[in-house]
Amino acid sequence: MRGPSSRVAFAVALALLTAAHFVLRPLLGDPRFAPDFLLVALLFFAIRVRPMAGTAAGFALGLVTDAVAPTAFGAAALALTVVGYLAGWLKSIVFADNLLVTALFVFTAAWGRDAIAVLAARQLVGGALAWQLLAFSPLAAVSTAAAATVTLVVFRRWLRHGVT
Amino acid sequence: MALGPDRYASRADTAVFVACLALSLVALALPAGLREPIAGALRRTVLAPLLAVQRSTVKAVAARERLSAVRAERDSLAIETTFLPEIRAENARLRDLLGLSGRLGHGFVTAEVLHQAGIADGLTLVLSAGRNAGVEPFSPVLAARGLLGVLQSVDARTSVALAWSHPDFRASAMVEGTAIYGIVRARRGEASGELMELIGVPFRQQLLPGMRVVTSGLGGVFPRGIPLGTVQGILDEEAGWERTYLLRPAVHPAEAAHVIVLSPARASDTLRTAFGLADSLALPRDSVPARPSRRPTAVREPGRP
Repeated sequence: MRGPSSRVAFAVALALLTAAHFVLRPLLGDPRFAPDFLLVALLFFAIRVRPMAGTAAGFALGLVTDAVAPTAFGAAALALTVVGYLAGWLKSIVFADNLLVTALFVFTAAWGRDAIAVLAARQLVGGALAWQLLAFSPLAAVSTAAAATVTLVVFRRWLRHGVT
Repeated sequence: MALGPDRYASRADTAVFVACLALSLVALALPAGLREPIAGALRRTVLAPLLAVQRSTVKAVAARERLSAVRAERDSLAIETTFLPEIRAENARLRDLLGLSGRLGHGFVTAEVLHQAGIADGLTLVLSAGRNAGVEPFSPVLAARGLLGVLQSVDARTSVALAWSHPDFRASAMVEGTAIYGIVRARRGEASGELMELIGVPFRQQLLPGMRVVTSGLGGVFPRGIPLGTVQGILDEEAGWERTYLLRPAVHPAEAAHVIVLSPARASDTLRTAFGLADSLALPRDSVPARPSRRPTAVREPGRP
């Protein structure tokens, strides 16, 4: 992003995703399966900047997420740090402008985030852990991937360029 | 999506990654006394405006979607309360005959559940009521059908509740209409994580499926009689000692939208006030500690506008 207007458009898109997380998400039904717009914003940011910035953004977002679940404080920070770093590192592998690849990328990131967080939090064991990792998390990851795809279609022009 | 040029991670990128990873692990290892102030500071600053927006949205959704359900509930309650004055009068007469003072009452505050993304939602819940509304830590949180959890931390405008599904949650319980007591906690392990178990039931007591389990009032956190769940069957038994029963919960945390936070008893709940003892007959002051004095709050009380 090479121009300031493009940078502003990109920032507005991220701000809209953040707003959608708190305004739109409560309207989308069962919170266990509703899309995580903050994760989508983080991934779109991380694949457009250096891994350093993606890592820092993931860590900061994770801490904020942990603030509403203090019994597992640090679990989301750990998970989103890894996701932010890997998203920045993998951007050279992900194909550009491919909706299917983007959806698969977001799905994997959402599922991986949940897996790391749930294992780090150590609050679920046995069948409960299996249900979370094999049922609830994949379903939530599917809805997050769908939200990312819709976002990419709607804001394609705004998200076209990187910020560096 | 268009991507920037290929850039593999440099040493600086790796260093930042390792530093953030280390900080995350430090956060995970923090004792509860240290992590709660950090989490509270984040909720009061960065998250406060965002949670305020979410609170408005949730309230608007509830107002629109639940109007007909609330009307139906109100009509049902209106019918049920028709004979309440007569029952109250009878209760007062009987208490008077037994020499008991009035029943200790509880005020309450209503709140919306602000569900968050991630795996912790359902174990801990963010509520839209905080200290400004009069809620305090360790206040019981109820949904329409039963106990949802207990408040863990309270900020000015929001609070965090520990749901019954959290591994740290315990409630003293009893089987409704009997003298069978036990402890209720979330079922961990083989089941789906959405069930409760009643542990510590004496071996000689046998429960049948369908029996209702409610809070016993022991321990002083939860008032007596709040529904917890219904017995599904026996889960485990230690020969000659105790049995563990599987319960179907009255409320599931992930489905909760609108909750009631009970306030401390409006009377100082000491034995002196409960039994109306004269000062000369009362126990020594330091043997029954009264609750610490609290800031006056505008808390609604059940049955009063």
